[in-house]
Amino acid sequence: MRRFLRGIAVGIALLGASLAQAFDLEQLGAQLAKPAVVRGPFIQEKHLRALPQPLTSRGQFVLSRAHGLLWQLHSPLQQDYRIGDRGIARRTPQGWQPQPGQDVAAQQSRLFLAVLRGDHAGLADDFELQLSGDAEAWQLSLTPRSRLLQQIFSAIHIQGGALVERIELTETQGDSTLLRLPQSQVDDRLSEAERLALAP
Amino acid sequence: MRLDHRSRRLLPRLFLALLLALLALSAWQWRAGPPLQASMLALLPQGASDELVQQAERRMQEPLNRELLVLVGHAEREQAIVLVQRIARQWAEAERFEQLQWSLQADLDALRQQVRSSRLSLLPHADRQLLITQPDGFIQQRAAQLFDTFASVSLLPIDQDWLGLGARAQQALNPHPRIQTDLGSGALLVEDQGLTWALLRARIRGDSFDLQAAPAVASQVASTRALVSAEGGQLLAASGLLYAAAGQARASQEVAWIGGIATLGILLLLLLSYRRARVLVSLLPIGVALLAGCAACVLVFGQINALTLVLGASLIGVAADYPQHYLSKSWSRLHGQAHWHSWSALAATLPGLSLSLGTNLIGYLALAFTPFPALTQIAVFSAAGLIAAYLCAVCLLPAWLGGLQLRPAPGLLRFSENLLSLRARLLASIGNRKLLGLLLLFCAAGLLQLQTQNDVRQWLGAEPQLLDEAQRIAELTGQQPTSQFFLVRASDEQQLLQRQAALSERLERAVADGQLLGYRALSQLVAPADSQHALRQALQGLPQHWQPLLAAGIPEAALHAELALLLNSAQPRLEQALAGPLGEAWRPLWLGRGDAGVAGLVSLQGLNDTSVLHSVGAGLDGVQLVDRLGELNSLFSATQLSAAQLKLMSIAAILLLLCLPFGLGGALRIVCLPLLAALTALACLGWLGQPLTLFSLFGLLLITAIGVDYAILMRENIGGPAVSLLGTLLAALTSWLSFGLLLLSQTPVIANFGLAISLGLLFCCLLAPWAGTQRSAQNQTVEA
Repeated sequence: MRRFLRGIAVGIALLGASLAQAFDLEQLGAQLAKPAVVRGPFIQEKHLRALPQPLTSRGQFVLSRAHGLLWQLHSPLQQDYRIGDRGIARRTPQGWQPQPGQDVAAQQSRLFLAVLRGDHAGLADDFELQLSGDAEAWQLSLTPRSRLLQQIFSAIHIQGGALVERIELTETQGDSTLLRLPQSQVDDRLSEAERLALAP
Repeated sequence: MRLDHRSRRLLPRLFLALLLALLALSAWQWRAGPPLQASMLALLPQGASDELVQQAERRMQEPLNRELLVLVGHAEREQAIVLVQRIARQWAEAERFEQLQWSLQADLDALRQQVRSSRLSLLPHADRQLLITQPDGFIQQRAAQLFDTFASVSLLPIDQDWLGLGARAQQALNPHPRIQTDLGSGALLVEDQGLTWALLRARIRGDSFDLQAAPAVASQVASTRALVSAEGGQLLAASGLLYAAAGQARASQEVAWIGGIATLGILLLLLLSYRRARVLVSLLPIGVALLAGCAACVLVFGQINALTLVLGASLIGVAADYPQHYLSKSWSRLHGQAHWHSWSALAATLPGLSLSLGTNLIGYLALAFTPFPALTQIAVFSAAGLIAAYLCAVCLLPAWLGGLQLRPAPGLLRFSENLLSLRARLLASIGNRKLLGLLLLFCAAGLLQLQTQNDVRQWLGAEPQLLDEAQRIAELTGQQPTSQFFLVRASDEQQLLQRQAALSERLERAVADGQLLGYRALSQLVAPADSQHALRQALQGLPQHWQPLLAAGIPEAALHAELALLLNSAQPRLEQALAGPLGEAWRPLWLGRGDAGVAGLVSLQGLNDTSVLHSVGAGLDGVQLVDRLGELNSLFSATQLSAAQLKLMSIAAILLLLCLPFGLGGALRIVCLPLLAALTALACLGWLGQPLTLFSLFGLLLITAIGVDYAILMRENIGGPAVSLLGTLLAALTSWLSFGLLLLSQTPVIANFGLAISLGLLFCCLLAPWAGTQRSAQNQTVEA
């Protein structure tokens, strides 16, 4: 929450006083952080320059304000992930296995979680934020600030209404990843199985 | 011996001319700042004579002497990054560092290029095995990776790395898995127990012999630490420079206060004994001795080490002894003899004085022949200092003391007489033989308890804070460089890589067994060609297994194209790979080509058990374990032995010298007393549970030289035994004031040296009266 507030502060500074009356980052953050639980299907498309068809995968996700994200890939293969403040873990027959390393992957997923939660944490520090639209249909564009990030992503575009609906990540080398969350539902609590998986 | 008027006029002038020359020489030597060397370790012997091993040791040592690792910790991640940026900016302004790295500002394009062209030879052993033995599993893992939303960013885009070899190679190249790169700032971070630590690596300009560098870096670290704590953060720093700075500060502090107290004590002693202010000019030999010692060391070695200076400061005690030889004769006036006169007192004691110098010189110079630079330097320092002190005492002081009427304190003479009569009574009741028997029994029992200990870590002294910080940094970063490493020689590059790969295989087992944290070998950067053979075969068979990738929608043509590219790519050369951006961490390991072929190192991390290394390297061609610490410790022991042998030879030389004036019997007696004193001191070390180190041995060897001095004083017996004993006592007290104070040094080797010498001096004094002839002892009893 600390980082969230900081993100908002930076966001406001970025957007300036003229945008204060319009839909701003603060309102967006508040809007996205409201639901205790969001769940729904996801479709991920990796668009590679070399392939006519994207690499598509599908599954279900559960986002809990308190506990983090449960990401269940159903096709083309089955794999569950859990993303929390402690990093990523993968479900294996032996139980949840933390992914090794606090490397780039961990930060990427933290970033991802921040986007879904409307938590501007790392976002404002690492990206230029540009918000347009209103509470029912908004667009947030993230442009990386650091040279290191610029060498990886050229931009991240996020769209949504009450909830995040679409995230598009454009890699500097030309590939892009599109993530759609078309039918997300708000709930006020986790199911028992979800709770067990997210907060054991 | 008589000194005529001409020589009384000439000698002081000659000496003053010499002194001026010495001053001029010193001024020239110090023209560009003090020629001081800080690193105590520089006094350690160059162990192996093999040039390549020495080159390797220098290579591994270099980062220790020039690099500084700083961790800035803060509860707020952003704050840690802000702080490290600020520190890096500040330090860059100081222009002391040639390299300051707080962030990863990698040129990803260059990295991509290298990963793409060398991914086959970069592939870690485990991945290679997986591909060869379980191609199905390998393909399945890759397919899962393609759909993993949270897979790590690959350097290579997927369409250049369908099979994921680049992604695997890239994972293995991350040398410090605990250190993460902050994607926003590029800062290198370690997270631990609620704190975020930002890493800063600095490398100082110039070479490590710059004396100013270490204290400057230490004070910079100290002020930065204050800044970081003011911001609510913590700072950890580790560097060989900080140890050097601490050692330097400690040495100069100790030189100042040990030297100061010794000089003050000697000053008081002189004033109280002779009760004339002018007698204080007899302190002049001390200054001349130190000056000459320094000048000689710089002349011979180019610079003088701080350790030499600390031990050399103790020379004060010996240098102050020479004037005592003739000053103490002033007490004989109390026996109704003629008034004390400087030149005639000198003339009477000159033979004894010269003998003292001769024996002291032989004693010190014997140490110069040990293969130990520390002892050689101290020997040169002391020899030059003693000669200068002698010349000063003989040529100049009598002129400056001329016409002085000393008023020696009569109480001291009475004290000395009482001591002698006490001794006489003791001898009468127990008897010489019995006493000697008791002493030898004491010695034997003490020697049985004596332990030798030689550990280079004693040199470093106790710097618990520095050690703790280094330990903490090692835990946080997972970087625990060890001083041991492997040197691998081969006839050509391929053989070198093969040999390193063979060694790596064994090291891998040690890592799996938890005996080792990690290692770095050149074969990790470029796999040897023969190990690539099986890999290429496995790659050729891969189309039978890659169905899951096709099912995911990857066109078969793309996979075939990548396979062809991999199989046809040329194996990169080692030097080429090292020159690339990935090669940075491996560059220090490559020693290059020589007449005998090529050589490279394998460095180790986090060694838990040194003994395991010997078996790891055993039986592998061209592989040599270089263990500087172990080698030094055994070298210490060997030096101890050779120092003892040299000492015996020097005693033989002293014996010959003393035969001239005293005859064989007298010479034997004079030589044996200090030996007995040294033996007793050695036994005391045993009784006290103190170890015998190279330096305490050195102290005891010194004792035998100084003890001979006292025995000569007693044997010469000018002015009677009580006067001679008083002279001996004063001389011993001045010696002890300077040597014995070393006992309080915080550097273990120096304290150990001080203890040995204190004990030795005590026994030398106690035993000195036995050097006198039987007849004069009887005279003394009658007089008393």
